[in-house]
Amino acid sequence: MIADTWYLFLKYVRISIRAPLWTLFNLIQPLIWLVIFGQLFSRFAQVPDFPTGSYTEFFIPGVLIMTVLFGSSWSGISLLREINSGTVDKMLVAPIARSSIVLSRVFHAAIQVVVQTLIIMTVARIMGNHISMRPDSVLLSLLIIFLLGLAFASVSNGLAIALQREEPLVVLGNMMTMPLLFFSSAMVPKTFMPAWMQMLANINPIEYAVVALRTVLLPPLDTSSLLLGLVVVAGFAFAMLYWSVTAFAALRD
Amino acid sequence: MIEVKQLTKVFTAGVRAINGLDLAVAEGEIMGLLGPNGAGKTTTVRVLSTLSGFDSGSVKIAGFDIDRDPEKIRQSIGFVAQRTGVDYFLTGRENLRLQGHMYHMSRADIDKRIDELASYFQLTEHLDSVVKTYSGGMQRKLDIATALIHRPKMLYLDEPTLGLDTPSRHSLWQMIRRLNSEQGLSILLTTHYLDEADKLAHRVSIIHQGKIAACDQPQNLKSQIKGEALVLSFAEQNQANQQFGQTLAGLDFIKDQLWEQGKLHLYVENGANAIALVSQQAMQAGIQLTHIALAQPTLDDVFLKYTGSSMEQDGEQEAEPWWAQWAGKGGGGWNKGQWAEQSDPQEGDESSTETAGATQADDWEKWQGSDDQASDGQDGDWQKWQQQRPCEDQAESDDAWPSQASPANNWQQWQNHNNTADQADSKPPSENDWIHWSPADKEQKD
Repeated sequence: MIADTWYLFLKYVRISIRAPLWTLFNLIQPLIWLVIFGQLFSRFAQVPDFPTGSYTEFFIPGVLIMTVLFGSSWSGISLLREINSGTVDKMLVAPIARSSIVLSRVFHAAIQVVVQTLIIMTVARIMGNHISMRPDSVLLSLLIIFLLGLAFASVSNGLAIALQREEPLVVLGNMMTMPLLFFSSAMVPKTFMPAWMQMLANINPIEYAVVALRTVLLPPLDTSSLLLGLVVVAGFAFAMLYWSVTAFAALRD
Repeated sequence: MIEVKQLTKVFTAGVRAINGLDLAVAEGEIMGLLGPNGAGKTTTVRVLSTLSGFDSGSVKIAGFDIDRDPEKIRQSIGFVAQRTGVDYFLTGRENLRLQGHMYHMSRADIDKRIDELASYFQLTEHLDSVVKTYSGGMQRKLDIATALIHRPKMLYLDEPTLGLDTPSRHSLWQMIRRLNSEQGLSILLTTHYLDEADKLAHRVSIIHQGKIAACDQPQNLKSQIKGEALVLSFAEQNQANQQFGQTLAGLDFIKDQLWEQGKLHLYVENGANAIALVSQQAMQAGIQLTHIALAQPTLDDVFLKYTGSSMEQDGEQEAEPWWAQWAGKGGGGWNKGQWAEQSDPQEGDESSTETAGATQADDWEKWQGSDDQASDGQDGDWQKWQQQRPCEDQAESDDAWPSQASPANNWQQWQNHNNTADQADSKPPSENDWIHWSPADKEQKD
């Protein structure tokens, strides 16, 4: 299973490298958000109790997570394309582990968003934002991103298998992204939210990822919220991975 | 190589996609699965390649049971689906290499096999270009090459030439024949092109509503349809031609006729005699004929006989064939029974055309099983013959296709043999220089 997953993973990486523009294209939207939101809400940071000195710095973890959501949601669409083009059938008649088909796709999507977020972090740093670029903080934040990428690529693949059609998948993906970001402290500190939104934020895995990312990128480091974030995101990723793999295994006409 | 017994598959919507299908493919054989879209061809191939489940029946492939050893079956088969499964953004070599890894082959073995397959399928110079740049025919060849990377014993080809242009089709046909004759590869080929089944398959199974309606060598199937067709071409198109057609319709020896694209098709028992009589009639009527073609029954006619409907009516996308009009006529003067052969096709008694039309007509009804007439089961009844010689038995006993040990050009000989067998029961061409004698109508349509 590991070898099967590896060779299929290499195939997707090769395709991505062959069309690098596609990977870069996905960066445009988060970068625009970063610049525009940073400008738009720049005076927001002057509100008493605002945790950071600059709104853009506060918003960077949110932009990174937005990149993950946008980037990984393509994975399911490309799964449907592979099903329709007969590529998946070709894999299924070969004596490979069925799970490797979904696993390779999900790992590829996660690696892809890791590359994308690394680029955004670098650009944000060049723009003059004081985010920590120490190797350990970069590695930790990429780990969180990777796990979150696994989770949402799994969600996308799982939904693709359940819905079987591209259009509702795109609609659902878009519908999901915004509430997940709004019901978290990606854009606004949690203390600024009304109580009901805070409650929703508490059951939103994105919230834990945002908090963990923020404490890694904008010191001082709060170890407990980092650990909590890692555990929640890893658990969420595992559950979604399990769901998508079993959904795919059950797919048989 | 393949043994399928009483296979049934019901889709969730309640549609019986496969309904008691029996199929046997011998080692080294090309079996054609012929039927219109929706007859159950693709579903059958998907079940046989472990892609789809089924509801009842037994499936054995290369000696393995599909329920117990699906992994071993996957190792023994190569599968080429209708839709190209190759990756457009990878090169030919990368596609082949990936496929080799999917079959857990060693690196050295994969490289060796890629060289072999690339030269076989004439892809060597394109091996390192991205598949996007390939033509449709090349993509299909690469698709087949990837399916053969692990040296399977059995190859499934689902509509291999769908959407290809004529030169690509012919070159692909040649490769399929060579794979079979040189490598001894058993092939199950589905198609809705009658000429493809006729030219490629050693035996053809006609699939209709999820079961096999008939299974035999193409020329045996064709020889069961008695009679011949004359196609008249006129020097000019006018009203007189129509009148001439009506005059002919009143003559005894003409069983049926139809017009297609200004040409008159006549169905007769003895074509060579009919040519003389028809030309005589034409001279009397002052009609100038430019061409009379004498045609043998094709698989089109066979298909019509076995399914009771033309492929056109079953939702075919092809242009309307000449016999569609004929089929659409229903009972309009033409008696199906006259065309159905009564005697046991195994005897190959193709020259006996004198049997009474009326009794044959009855037999037809019985064979069809659709009538409420009581069947008292005559000897030589088609239904009985089918029961005595089901498709599976033939796989063992028939040796008409080239065996693995025979030389490469056996195929050619076998095909030639077929053609001469076809021609054997028709009379030699007429001396008249304006009469063109054609051994097979299908050649005209090509």
